[in-house]
Amino acid sequence: MEAVKFEQVRFSYESENTNDANQDVFGMDKTDYALDGVDFTVQEGEFVAVLGHNGSGKSTLARLTNGLLKPSSGGITVFGLDATNDKNLFEIRKQVGIVFQNPDNQTVASIVEDDVAFGPENVGIPREEIGKRIDFALHAVGMQEFRHATPSRLSGGQKQRIAIAGVLALKPKIMILDEATAMLDPRGRKEVIDVVLKLNKEEKITVILITHFPEEAMLADRAVVMSDGKIVLEGKPSEILSQGEALKQYALTSPKSIRICRELTERGLPVSDGMDAESVAENILTALRSAGVTAWKDTETGADVDNEAPCDGKGGVVCENLSYVYNAKSPFETYALNGVDLQIHSGDFFGIIGHTGSGKSTFVQHLNALLKVPTAQKKYKPKKQKKGAPPPQKTVLTVDGYDLTDKTTDFRELRSKVGMVFQYPEYQLFAETVFQDVAFGLKNFRAEAKEEETKLAVKEALETVGLDYEEIKDKSPFELSGGQKRRVAIAGVIVTKPEILVLDEPAAGLDPLGKEEIMSLLHKIHAEWCKTVVIVSHDMDEIAENCNRATIFADGKVLRLDTPKRLFSDVEKMVSVGLDVPFTTKVCQILQANGIEIACDYTTADFVEKTLLVAKGGRTNA
Amino acid sequence: MREVAFGQYYPAKSFVHKCDPRIKILFLIVYIVAVFLSKNFYALGACAGVFLLVALFSGVPFKSLLRSVKAILFLLIFMTVLNLFFHTGETVLWRWKFIKITKEGLYHTAFLSARLFLLVLGSSLLTLTTTPVSLADGIESLLTPLKWIRFPVHELALIMSIALRFIPILTDETGRIMNAQKARGADFETGGFFKRVKAVIPILIPLLISAFRRSEELGDAMDARCYAGSKMRTKYKKLTLTWRDVIAFFVVGGLLAGVILLRMHTAWLV
Repeated sequence: MEAVKFEQVRFSYESENTNDANQDVFGMDKTDYALDGVDFTVQEGEFVAVLGHNGSGKSTLARLTNGLLKPSSGGITVFGLDATNDKNLFEIRKQVGIVFQNPDNQTVASIVEDDVAFGPENVGIPREEIGKRIDFALHAVGMQEFRHATPSRLSGGQKQRIAIAGVLALKPKIMILDEATAMLDPRGRKEVIDVVLKLNKEEKITVILITHFPEEAMLADRAVVMSDGKIVLEGKPSEILSQGEALKQYALTSPKSIRICRELTERGLPVSDGMDAESVAENILTALRSAGVTAWKDTETGADVDNEAPCDGKGGVVCENLSYVYNAKSPFETYALNGVDLQIHSGDFFGIIGHTGSGKSTFVQHLNALLKVPTAQKKYKPKKQKKGAPPPQKTVLTVDGYDLTDKTTDFRELRSKVGMVFQYPEYQLFAETVFQDVAFGLKNFRAEAKEEETKLAVKEALETVGLDYEEIKDKSPFELSGGQKRRVAIAGVIVTKPEILVLDEPAAGLDPLGKEEIMSLLHKIHAEWCKTVVIVSHDMDEIAENCNRATIFADGKVLRLDTPKRLFSDVEKMVSVGLDVPFTTKVCQILQANGIEIACDYTTADFVEKTLLVAKGGRTNA
Repeated sequence: MREVAFGQYYPAKSFVHKCDPRIKILFLIVYIVAVFLSKNFYALGACAGVFLLVALFSGVPFKSLLRSVKAILFLLIFMTVLNLFFHTGETVLWRWKFIKITKEGLYHTAFLSARLFLLVLGSSLLTLTTTPVSLADGIESLLTPLKWIRFPVHELALIMSIALRFIPILTDETGRIMNAQKARGADFETGGFFKRVKAVIPILIPLLISAFRRSEELGDAMDARCYAGSKMRTKYKKLTLTWRDVIAFFVVGGLLAGVILLRMHTAWLV
């Protein structure tokens, strides 16, 4: 049976306007349609992925399905019920559950079970039955033990599973996930996707997964690509997602697995497409065997230059024995940092890896004295310090040559030298115009600067982040697109020409193309603008592709600091703290187990290069 | 992670913590009435005795209780000074120009301060032993009779619990925005009144915008989960009275009776 059916659906957010107003002099319709003639069907029990760049109309699709929005024209039915008819709304909403993007903005209660109960309460289910529904829903998402917990203390993935439970408690037949994984870290994303797959298989719930992660779409029965309010591609995920060029045109990318196979094929080693690390490795092995290679060992260990020269001067960070306690001497006392030692060299593109709560954000906030080094260190002694243990060491924190343990240091000057871009920086924009917002920092730090200087600096900063100064300077920051806002926010930080630029999850929430653009922007800034760039990231591939050195934080400590190559070679250690490894590392590992040892630095480019060398070596040997 | 318990709730499993929130709210109201009805130190002493009894059974350390007084310390001092110097009385103890301290003034001030002290301590004991959520539940249940005059009790309670739910989120968000603007050189700590007010704008505007965005998304999420007001709505959690509440009822009833008796028959004490 057809679960959802869209017929020639058009929708415009300007639909309140009269038709006349939206027609130009020739009587042509010039309305800006968010959905423009969409035909779309989902069969019962199907798992459909809807892909599309930001603003492609995919979220509108979700909201139309359960009547949160009404189409301007066309018909929508859900299990045969007309979704455009208000009489059916209640019934349709019982059958169609939506999980939204931001986990914080969809929970109504402060206790998990109360929140899950919200839906069943709304439709008037008796109390005993609600209890059973809560059991069922929490069990289905694997969150039984959190029944009495407070949502705000859970991780992103857990919050989103609670949101799914809240929807499940209404026993829907269809579940729509509207970019429900976009704001999560890889671990949370996996939690949510696993739950969704299970619901689809075991509970036979029809799933519409709206996403811009190609890897997630690979798991679906069918994929639909949207662009500018239209469905542009439709078919099996493996077929759709291997069309690299076509996807690029819609601001999407193929998954890394397919990209690697395609590039190898193009450059002379025919490898058929693989879906995941296992199949990619297998296909490469097959290809290598037919090229005559069955065993290989790279002896060369180059491409791993690490400058170990200590640094205490400009542009770097030296940190020794840094600890930080939240809510000291209260029942909530927690060690956010517990003796952190690390050095960031001048000129590094440095990566900080770790889970939420590992202390990485706390550490980063120390770098420009948003959190001060505790001066009265005796107070913060751990409770269980044994007698005769060595006395606490002195804390050292020097950033860009400024001593942060010294109270007489000019912290304002430091802040102008250490730029800090927080997660979702676009949410800090506030001024009337882009110019004023970017100039904000500059005026704070250099009140005496002349108008001309300010103008020049703002212009330079905006142009560095790839925006057209003349076109954008007088616009309100709130009328820009998501990607543009983020660029403006970054410009507002680099405008003071910091020596060190720190970014917390700079690519979070962006679509694949936006991600790539931001990362290449950071390399540009690194090359032309700031000496040292530090990024905090959950994404191991991002670290492997971009950083020259990286560190892992776990439980308030530095677990290891090394080049990504060495860091990721130690797969066991990464897994032991619950972290993932880059895709290429996984492939290399399987290859190694089969006798092919490739010493690459885990960037895609290097991996392809080295694999081709292996193939070539096989041919010359043969 | 950096969660300072809002409303200073002190997690414990004491007798007082386990009491029904409705009884606790009623208890506090009666206690406040008793404090106001008290005319002399004997009556106030009785109130203080009841307070101490409850505090003892609450398992809340005295330090936490006193911390709540800190917040109104300024008000307390201000009131004391005002009363001490300007209360008219006959027995003058000390005089400097037009300022004088009288015996009656001294007595009156001590009495008022003690009263205020007891009021603040009592109210903070409620918030220390009751989670905001159960407080909201209690208020909703107590206001139920108002449904008869079409007062939107359910909506009010929902608004209250959503507000409570978003306090930690918005607090975090404020912290984040403040940090971000501080990192861009914003200065919230120095300068005169006007400068400080102006400095708040870069925090307030993003915060407002985010609050609106959040409320819109929450509205959608609630709609999607079939929210349609209070009609035909059921409730999963129901408050039930236990033996603890009966004991609490007798304690506070005794206090009220005692204070009223003291008010009528102070004679046999003096």
